[in-house]
Amino acid sequence: MNKRVQVWTLIVAMTVFFTGPSQAAEDVSLLKDMTSVIALLGLPCGQVVSVKRLGDNDHIASCQDGNRYRVYLNPEGRVVAQKQ
Amino acid sequence: MRESSAELRIEEKLMSAARIVGMLFFLLTAGCVWMERKSPQTGAPEGKAVAVEPSTTRPADQSVPKTDLPDAKIPAKVPASPVPAEQTRKKESAAPSTGKPGAPPLDLTTLETRLKETKAIGVFTKITLKNQVDDLLDQFRAYYQGRSKISLAELRQSYDMLLLKLLSLLQDGDPSLARMVVASREAIWGILADPAKFATL
Repeated sequence: MNKRVQVWTLIVAMTVFFTGPSQAAEDVSLLKDMTSVIALLGLPCGQVVSVKRLGDNDHIASCQDGNRYRVYLNPEGRVVAQKQ
Repeated sequence: MRESSAELRIEEKLMSAARIVGMLFFLLTAGCVWMERKSPQTGAPEGKAVAVEPSTTRPADQSVPKTDLPDAKIPAKVPASPVPAEQTRKKESAAPSTGKPGAPPLDLTTLETRLKETKAIGVFTKITLKNQVDDLLDQFRAYYQGRSKISLAELRQSYDMLLLKLLSLLQDGDPSLARMVVASREAIWGILADPAKFATL
């Protein structure tokens, strides 16, 4: 019984430790990606602090300065940042 | 006798608990180290990059008629830019961040491939950059076809601006590619500013 509990504890711990950082890294890279896109498009933002996923290639980015943009890929293959 | 066996059992449990705690500590440390290595790169999942980046503009570029080029205007304007461009190039190559000399110049195709592959730029940023490169190429096309009032000096400005944006994105995440872009700056401009070479793009 004790051994089983130990094994399960270890499995749960490993899952948490391995999936947690990878999820966080993905989030950080998406924030940077959105920040770069908005800057490239010449829109005021500063840094993107949070991103809400609306669908495939469709996000709402909230900026440090309070601006919010819907960043999406339009049917022509262009990335568009639309002020909300 | 019983007491000593009970003590042994407790000791065993403590040892196994200590082993687990040690393992967790090791995993925590490993996780943190991995995060630190990962954080400088803004790499997005590669699968997505392949899925979202269908380039449809290249065939259109190739279908541009090559006979429409106005020959008389361009050669007179082209020599005006090389001297200041040469100076800026020297300044940049002296900067510590792009220090390595002898980075081989790239052609546009190689540059495109390297930019697609780099993990220093996210997927959306790559697509946005590609859109802006396509816009610039359209401006050059319009200029050579005599459909635009924009001058070659203005096109050079747009080109420099785009390259600066690209360098600012690459310099931390992929410094070697940033160096190659700097080294290729004039070579690429040479292609863009020459109507005959531009027509082959």
